[in-house]
Amino acid sequence: MKLRMLLAVLLVVSVVVVMPVLGQIPADTLVIGMNHDPIIDFAPERVYELEDMFILEQVYDQLVNFTGGEDAFKEVKPGLAESWEVSEDGLTWTFHVRQGVRFHSGNEVNADAVVFSFQRALDRHQAPIWIMEQFVPTKDMIQRVDDYTVSITTKAPIGEMLFAAAFGYQGIGCVLDPAVIQEHATGDDPLAAKWVAEHDAGSGPFTIAEWVKRDRIVLTAFDDYWQGAPQLRRIIIKDLPEPTAQKLALERGDIDVAWNLLPEMIVELRSKEGIRVVESSSSFSYHYLAMNFGCEPLSHIEVRQAIRWALDYNAITDGIMAGSAVKNQSIVPVGMFSHLDLSYAQNLDKARELMAKAGYAGGFDVELITRTDQPFTDIAAQIQQDLKKINIRVKITTMVWAEVLKVFRARTHQLLLARGSLDYADPSGAATMMAHCRVLGDDAEVKQMAWRCMYCPSGLADWVEEAAAEQDPRRREVLYKAIQALVLEEGPFVMLHNTLTQVATRETVVGLEIPAMWPYTELRGVSKTQ
Amino acid sequence: MSMVTYIVRRLLWLLFVVFGVMTLVFFISRVIPADPVAAMLGGHAPADLVEEMRAKWGLDKPVIEQYLAYVWQLLHGDFGVSMASGRHVLQDLVEYFPATLELATVGALISVVGGIVLGVVSAVRRGKLADHVARVAALTGISMPVFWLALLMMLLFYFILGWLPGGGRLPYYMDPPTRITGMILIDSLIARRLDMFTIALKHFVMPALTLSFFGVAAISRVTRASMLDVLGEDYVRTARSKGLVENRVVLRHALKNAMLPVVTIAGIVYGRLLEGGVIVETIFAWPGLGRYATNAFLALDFPAVVGSTMVIALFYSLMNLVVDILYAFLDPRVRYD
Repeated sequence: MKLRMLLAVLLVVSVVVVMPVLGQIPADTLVIGMNHDPIIDFAPERVYELEDMFILEQVYDQLVNFTGGEDAFKEVKPGLAESWEVSEDGLTWTFHVRQGVRFHSGNEVNADAVVFSFQRALDRHQAPIWIMEQFVPTKDMIQRVDDYTVSITTKAPIGEMLFAAAFGYQGIGCVLDPAVIQEHATGDDPLAAKWVAEHDAGSGPFTIAEWVKRDRIVLTAFDDYWQGAPQLRRIIIKDLPEPTAQKLALERGDIDVAWNLLPEMIVELRSKEGIRVVESSSSFSYHYLAMNFGCEPLSHIEVRQAIRWALDYNAITDGIMAGSAVKNQSIVPVGMFSHLDLSYAQNLDKARELMAKAGYAGGFDVELITRTDQPFTDIAAQIQQDLKKINIRVKITTMVWAEVLKVFRARTHQLLLARGSLDYADPSGAATMMAHCRVLGDDAEVKQMAWRCMYCPSGLADWVEEAAAEQDPRRREVLYKAIQALVLEEGPFVMLHNTLTQVATRETVVGLEIPAMWPYTELRGVSKTQ
Repeated sequence: MSMVTYIVRRLLWLLFVVFGVMTLVFFISRVIPADPVAAMLGGHAPADLVEEMRAKWGLDKPVIEQYLAYVWQLLHGDFGVSMASGRHVLQDLVEYFPATLELATVGALISVVGGIVLGVVSAVRRGKLADHVARVAALTGISMPVFWLALLMMLLFYFILGWLPGGGRLPYYMDPPTRITGMILIDSLIARRLDMFTIALKHFVMPALTLSFFGVAAISRVTRASMLDVLGEDYVRTARSKGLVENRVVLRHALKNAMLPVVTIAGIVYGRLLEGGVIVETIFAWPGLGRYATNAFLALDFPAVVGSTMVIALFYSLMNLVVDILYAFLDPRVRYD
């Protein structure tokens, strides 16, 4: 009898437990499955993580804007500032703030709010502040001129795109509502850092309605948005850390967008009915092979060129990366202002000829250091196989990333396969890292990749600095293209590709475009068909 | 020695163990060849900012000085501030630990009940079909990788059959109950939301079952072995010869005496479920301590690493203490000295 009772109870519990629980997602709600692990909080002055930047993109505005898909980072567009001009000496920037723009609180965006936001970021002095501080180190350099005019003085002249990249940065560049910040300020926390970490004080197309940590972020539409109300009423960014779980949820229709799928899942979903793959046309992340000038055979320009010609780039991009990368052999990424498109393909005859010219027809032994994880080990194996064809015998050594970085900084590598990314949308970052080196010693001012590969050509650092400061965009573009061409010809890098951001959506989702820096993806224009 | 004296002595010893674990983790995290500030700021930040941040987190001081400062903080109940989130570590632990504790507890309950039932059946029906099935199931449970099992369950019960939700503690459209304990089942009961309790329970099924697979296997094997020993004892034969019903012989006389090793393994299983849930937490999107600790390790967030390790160590030690106390109830011959 007892056993029967027990069985009956078990049956009831089982039925309750297995009853379907999920309903259909409403047409005005977009549910995105995303890994929340990198999410820390939404304090604009602190945000450095891509996922946090993506949330800020929906909630805040900056003076200038990067909008659109493919061409988002090729020119600067007006944001809260409808126009701007720079003084003759290239030091003072005057911004004219758009009138009639409202914060979510209903307060008006004006010059005071802009000055308050940037000065607040300098006061808070969090990790990303260097992006602003390198040009504008003190609060007095940011001034209110009148109700709708702000002037910002830089310590040295810089190009418009570089200025915009720093002040349009999705984080420290955000304009906050001073009244709301003051309302939530406390004695211990006069700048309301704690409050703003979990709420918003912005003027963007959405507001943060709810944040349940490691569960969901709910954004609701801001109908008075100055560029027009968003199409969606609600966006739910649901925590789904595991790519397989995201894929299954997308296929079942429990989420509309899966943000963190693996390349092989994307390949599979491309042919799946009811699913659409949306991808960026580039990104500012890249894989590259670094060659150390301090290592004898690699110090010969012909050897470095031979290595460039020997690699099968298509096998790496299409095969190993499974289409999740776009081939690019220049130090400036595809899709960024002044990118030089000079792609070349494997040419073994040319490579062998160059090896012979350098006196290394018989080849040599070399060590290639890289990380222990994928795709590094596969790419290293491909490089080993390709270089064998021109008699370069590669020994692959793998180590954890922290160790690879240590070797790179100590400049004890020969060949080193690594990944890099640019912090903001201007070529000056790439040029500084890969072409700026004045001295080889420890007293060097910039100790980035060029220095680490002992690549110190005379005069190149001057070009890099000149390009950063150049006001005329056309001349600036010419300078960056010249730098790229020179580094490509004689430099220590074999650039392989830029990795892509690939997401999959239900086919009911329309209007989603992903720019080269995916956190700048705007959801304002996204809608859903029934 | 009285029980109370014993418990007090063990609690003091427990503090010593946790302190030891903290010291070990503190020093290990400081000697690994990686720089948390570099990890936090990326490779392109200027050197003076890196130095400023190092000073801010006290990383520019000698390790021993950092250690003493940390111990001083701890003595004042301060676990420090997470370098990644800027929040107090204690605040983060309070946020994430209840979810893990709740999942591990449900997993441990399933492990204990399932393991004992399987073990007893297996011992009583030794050599018969039920025994073979139970043993194969136990072997599978012990050898199957958790991530694989989790994905398989998700594929079957969520994707193909659609019976169970695919992750999280509640559906996205449902607001969680007012946070009192941080445990969703308890909080939904306190809020008198039976509907929410039922839905939350559904969310527990897959992660808790996945998590308990190993526990069921381990406990059933130990129960079986222990039961077989006991079933061969004279007093069991005596009980049977008195004419007692077999169920009574097995459950009243044999099982209680076979429980000692089972309690030990159950304690270990509980501890393991608590610290080993990271894969299950990731696959089933569970907002628990395992994921928090893993991210802290990856980001080299020292205060968070030390804080979460201490919580796990504390809980593990407490479990051991509970197991030892349970011994006395199960076997009066056990003396505490």
